[in-house]
Amino acid sequence: MQFAKDSFFLELQQRLASLNQARTVTVNGTTVPAVLVVENLPPSSAEPQPNTFYIEWGAADVVGGHSGNSPLMSVDVVISYYSFGSVPSMVDRGRLLAQLDDELLNICQPPNAGKRDYTQSPSVDLGTNVFWNQPSFTEGKGAGLYWGKTSFPERMKSGVTDAAESYQDARVERKARLTIYFFSEVTLS
Amino acid sequence: MSTTPVRAAMVPVTRQIRAYFAPVNRTSETPTVFDPCSGMFSLDAPPRPWLDLGWVENFERWYNTPTDVVRSGVKGQPAAQFRGPLDARVEFTFVEWGKLQMALACGSEHMNVLAPISGGTAAPSGGTPKPGVAVLPGSTASELILGAGAGSAFAPGSLLAVDVDYQQQTGYVGSGIAAAYVSSAAAVMQDPNYVRRVTFNVGRVVEVTATSLLLGQPLLGGAPTNGASAQAVVAFVDREGGSFFQEWSALFVAEEETGGRVCFYYPRLSPNPGQGSSGAIWNANSTSALGKGSSGAGFAGTLKSTTGSGGRFAREDFAEIARPLSAISLRASFLALPSADLNDGQMVVCYRSYFPAGMAAAY
Repeated sequence: MQFAKDSFFLELQQRLASLNQARTVTVNGTTVPAVLVVENLPPSSAEPQPNTFYIEWGAADVVGGHSGNSPLMSVDVVISYYSFGSVPSMVDRGRLLAQLDDELLNICQPPNAGKRDYTQSPSVDLGTNVFWNQPSFTEGKGAGLYWGKTSFPERMKSGVTDAAESYQDARVERKARLTIYFFSEVTLS
Repeated sequence: MSTTPVRAAMVPVTRQIRAYFAPVNRTSETPTVFDPCSGMFSLDAPPRPWLDLGWVENFERWYNTPTDVVRSGVKGQPAAQFRGPLDARVEFTFVEWGKLQMALACGSEHMNVLAPISGGTAAPSGGTPKPGVAVLPGSTASELILGAGAGSAFAPGSLLAVDVDYQQQTGYVGSGIAAAYVSSAAAVMQDPNYVRRVTFNVGRVVEVTATSLLLGQPLLGGAPTNGASAQAVVAFVDREGGSFFQEWSALFVAEEETGGRVCFYYPRLSPNPGQGSSGAIWNANSTSALGKGSSGAGFAGTLKSTTGSGGRFAREDFAEIARPLSAISLRASFLALPSADLNDGQMVVCYRSYFPAGMAAAY
């Protein structure tokens, strides 16, 4: 499963680097394309940075109805990002969020990528692809109080928690959800 | 890359089917050949002369060729088999509308509604049109040379049809692609505009220069022939009825998400709506995608009804976006006609090609 997660993350990061070279983020002094995986960051990391796509992994499952000697698996993905805009008055924050939406939709195309083993250098082609459905976008606003959550309770379907609505700041936020699919490396007997 | 065969790579996974069509030479009934050697082409850049008609939904193909048994002996044991009459069909829904999509979904003559002249006679498929503008030598499929000032008859963004005047000829008409069959001049009222009413040589003007028109897409039939004229088109019309049958070569590609690519090549397809369907349906909007047609007890929740009560054929599908909004799509149905295989002369109605993924096991 880790190969699929790595392949999806690195593919999106590389596509963002090609799409918008200026969309970067600095982590521990290193500047990288602004796609990060939350679980790869130290738990003590500061609040997420604006204009950066944060990937969180959700539930994993074996897809039913598929027979073969390699199980077809799915993993839910949440990609969160927010913006304060690019000017001190923050009046362009909505436009910047729309730009981030477009960039995310863009880097999700085509909706597949080769599954590779990135624990080796150079990485090794594992022979199949990771593929995913189109992202669904939900609106968010407030103080980012639901960052770090990977479950999708009904009350958060709108992307807005009660607490977030009570403590709104000027940021505009988005969560995009999709599911990735891949054939597991495990062989069924 | 590892050289170890991967069995998981033997599972072709796709999310949608893309359709490509190419004309059949109607005079010689010669189809456009799809050579599998060129099968791994970029889906956005099909090999010529294949035309990209976009993604299609509810793709369904089936055959109804009976296999009968010759029996012999006292107990009537099976001794041999033989195939009965070839019968194969394909059905799907065009998501996008255009000249070709409408013509294929309708199946008969497909009319370009020529821009009308003021005070002309009205007609359901287009009334008396404004006269054509002569296209001058040196024109190409993407640039029409009309002469100084003549381009002012066309505004940027307008559609136009380019073809020759009808001059009493009989047989197939339409430059490059047979658009209709004229049995006699009287049948088309000796209308000099008739060829441009049906031609596939249509395009959209993107720029008007001092002497020419630049088109957004090349004309389907290629560069205009001598004597061609251009007329503005305001709409397209198809009709229930007519005696002409479109006939095209078709290629359907299952875009590979993982695993290999699967292609279906029909040398000759002729529209044939109204028949029942019973094949496997590809429905991209379904959660489990593959289903069975109306006579199959297949996968649950995937059947999209394309026939009404009594087996009537639904010409359009309505895909709900959010009530009351729906996207309208064109339902198309075809009968597969046979063609002789160039290698062994066998009569064939369809070819299925599989291009294994790079590391897939061979068997």
